[in-house]
Amino acid sequence: MKQQAWPFVVCVLALVLMPAVASTYWMHIAIVVLLNITYAVALFSVLRMGYLSLGHAGFIALGAYTCVVLTVRLHISPWWGILGAGLVSGAMAWGLGAMTMRLRGIYFSLAIFAFGEIVVAFFRAFDWFGGPSGIANVPRPKFFGHALNDHFSFYWLVLCLSLFFMALLYRLQFTRYGATLLTLKTEASERLAQSVGIDAARLKTATFALSCAVVGTMGAVHAQYLMFINPQVFTFLTSTDLLIYAMVGGITQFWGPVIGAGLLTLLGEQLFSVGYWKTLVYALVLMVVILSLPGGLMSLIDRIRDRWLNKPGG
Amino acid sequence: MTAILQIQNVSKQFDGLAALSGVSFDVQQGELLALVGPNGAGKSTLFNAIAGVFSPTQGQILLDGQDITGLPSHALARRGLARTFQMVNLFPELTALENVMQGFHRHMPVDFMGGLFQTVAYRKDQAEWQTRALDVLRILDLQALADVPAQALPLGQAKLLTVAIAMATQPKLLLLDEPAAGLSHEESSRMMDLVASRVKTHCTVVLVEHNMRLVGRYCDRAVVLQFGQKIFDGIPQDLVHDPRVVNAYLGTAGMGT
Amino acid sequence: MSLTLLMQGLAIGLVNGALYILTALGLTLIYGILHIVNFAHGEVFMLGAMLVYVVYVLWEWPLLAALPAIAAVAAMVGWLVERGIFRRLRGQWLQLLVATVGVSLIIQSLSWIVFGAQEKNVPSILPGVLVAWGIRMPYERLAAAGIAMCMVAALYAVVYKTRSGLAMRAIEEDEETARMLGIDTDKVAGLAVALGFALAAMGGVFVAPIYSINPGMGLEAILMSFIIIIIGGLGNITGTLVAGLFIGVVQSMGALLLGAESAHVLVFVVMIAVLIFRPQGLMGKL
Repeated sequence: MKQQAWPFVVCVLALVLMPAVASTYWMHIAIVVLLNITYAVALFSVLRMGYLSLGHAGFIALGAYTCVVLTVRLHISPWWGILGAGLVSGAMAWGLGAMTMRLRGIYFSLAIFAFGEIVVAFFRAFDWFGGPSGIANVPRPKFFGHALNDHFSFYWLVLCLSLFFMALLYRLQFTRYGATLLTLKTEASERLAQSVGIDAARLKTATFALSCAVVGTMGAVHAQYLMFINPQVFTFLTSTDLLIYAMVGGITQFWGPVIGAGLLTLLGEQLFSVGYWKTLVYALVLMVVILSLPGGLMSLIDRIRDRWLNKPGG
Repeated sequence: MTAILQIQNVSKQFDGLAALSGVSFDVQQGELLALVGPNGAGKSTLFNAIAGVFSPTQGQILLDGQDITGLPSHALARRGLARTFQMVNLFPELTALENVMQGFHRHMPVDFMGGLFQTVAYRKDQAEWQTRALDVLRILDLQALADVPAQALPLGQAKLLTVAIAMATQPKLLLLDEPAAGLSHEESSRMMDLVASRVKTHCTVVLVEHNMRLVGRYCDRAVVLQFGQKIFDGIPQDLVHDPRVVNAYLGTAGMGT
Repeated sequence: MSLTLLMQGLAIGLVNGALYILTALGLTLIYGILHIVNFAHGEVFMLGAMLVYVVYVLWEWPLLAALPAIAAVAAMVGWLVERGIFRRLRGQWLQLLVATVGVSLIIQSLSWIVFGAQEKNVPSILPGVLVAWGIRMPYERLAAAGIAMCMVAALYAVVYKTRSGLAMRAIEEDEETARMLGIDTDKVAGLAVALGFALAAMGGVFVAPIYSINPGMGLEAILMSFIIIIIGGLGNITGTLVAGLFIGVVQSMGALLLGAESAHVLVFVVMIAVLIFRPQGLMGKL
């Protein structure tokens, strides 16, 4: 499926030029949008295999807390904090995945959901992790001695990391490895895959671990952005938000979650100061899309684009 | 003459019910062997035991002299054993060519890093995969359908594609689970014709089949099971005359046609 | 740790378990017939509790009128959800699952908006404590558990003694064949979801006088229900019963020995362990 390059280039250009013209408020919006897009794309890489993770927030939290603990409690540099976050999340996901990925459908989803709850409860339980009130004064990284303490400079960190991860996951999707993941989508085709020598278990676990390493890393960055962390920041509602971004955007192609996360985050940040209204609108949009637009917004965009391209004289 | 597959005293019990009892036979390299028998005879059980779906309660299965008893399916694939499924099993969203390419995993690893960095070696491999996949499709006359998504294929072509995918693993032994099931008279003849004339030149084939006409016409040898035991092992032409086989099939249509 | 204390923990655990069972059974029923894990179940439980507050406390309806009314409302909501949403998504497990999450979010957020964050209280209907063998058991809780068990018995009667129940069991066994035998699977599906929702709401109703009510209470309910149906085996009614009591006791004893928070985590760990080592549940058949 050949994608045209120009929309993508335009977007990246816009993102790069933003700090020159935007206000602090819009920089905040941009940061949150980029974080959510990366989370959503990472979730999609697992969804693509036919597995629904209902506990991705747990891995985001794991990364966030790892970074915070490393930097605040152990006084390690925030850069290592970010790296450590990704490694811890990835390793945890590898272990959990090795045990749970032979479960299919709802069983897997519930196991990961349970794990997500355990993670949050774990951090809430101990004072070393800040307990119910969490930990504040999370330090941000320094770039050549200059701490990234304002929205504009921190934006660059977020932009670089999210573009990196998006490029990584996009690229992987179109490799041999990415195509092989499609063979694992249902139980029947996984059996076929096994019968031709594909080590399904290892592939699935590796993909899940990569996805969680990505969200763990971004979770660390997220915590540094907020400059605090507590058990209420990444909850089951976060996991459902990511799911909604992906489903609304469309889970048949990579750009679906990107569009879904981008649009819904913009909508959420702009219109709703109160969480319940945001959730209600998100949920309603989700239901409308599920019931009447199965391919998500991307399918609508594709349809419009096709019609527009086919209009003048074929 | 080397026996590519050796079934040695294989038995299988399911909760006390003996599905297989002491079945033994060899399959010679290059043969086309049919596993037949009335319903409930144990053909599927034996097939699944060989294919690694479960382990036999007793006995050994040797592939090219190596014990493969109880190995999981992806390990079997790497030892050179391929199989098709009774229900047509394909990768629905991939094209026919891409489906076949998935069969090359035994010989060409996923190369995660190569794909990530699009190295020269990776791209060369991809091009080679595509050419080889096309060659495999040609064995079964499917090359024209290379770019068709698998879910769009009609049953006859789909079944041929399942055989192509299995062939792509370059197996020593190919197990076909009722390859003619659900196909029309012409399609099933065509399927068996391709198997007997082309597939057989690449590997040994063992198939489970109900259609005795096809067995008689295309297969080199037949093993008949009844109540989990082997009651006949020989050429299909003799099968019709064997009193035990006739007894087992008494009343079943299709004999001797 | 005295014996009395342990007995107390056991007794409370059994009684709590009985209350969990009511809600969990609704979930089992829906799963058995439709093979959907209804994420919205906890929110319906919360709705039941909220409605008790509104109908019994605010509008001052008599209890005997309030309960059937709430059950009817929940059943109606369930039927509408099945008809409008589940039926359209038949066969698509991912979409169905996400749809139930969507419904749960809608109910939850609407509740926050309509009812507000302030905790509500339904006054004790049956005040007083039974003291026997050193164990203190509030009458309220005991009565609630008792009524819950009666409802469970009634459910058993419906499922095993009526024709609708027979239809449900047939569909659970093999939907294709059931349809060929002339069973109106659509109608039964609607009935099952309606019944399931009603059970969830009743679970909330009985818990209302015991705990304080707020729109966030659904999460706890759904978590417990999930754990119970996993341990008992998805779709297995007897399993749900046994698992419900088991989890009630585990949580109560765990809270006694390790503290409430740890007991909470413990229950989750048990769930993951069951999923990994015995996904069909302690009693189910995979």
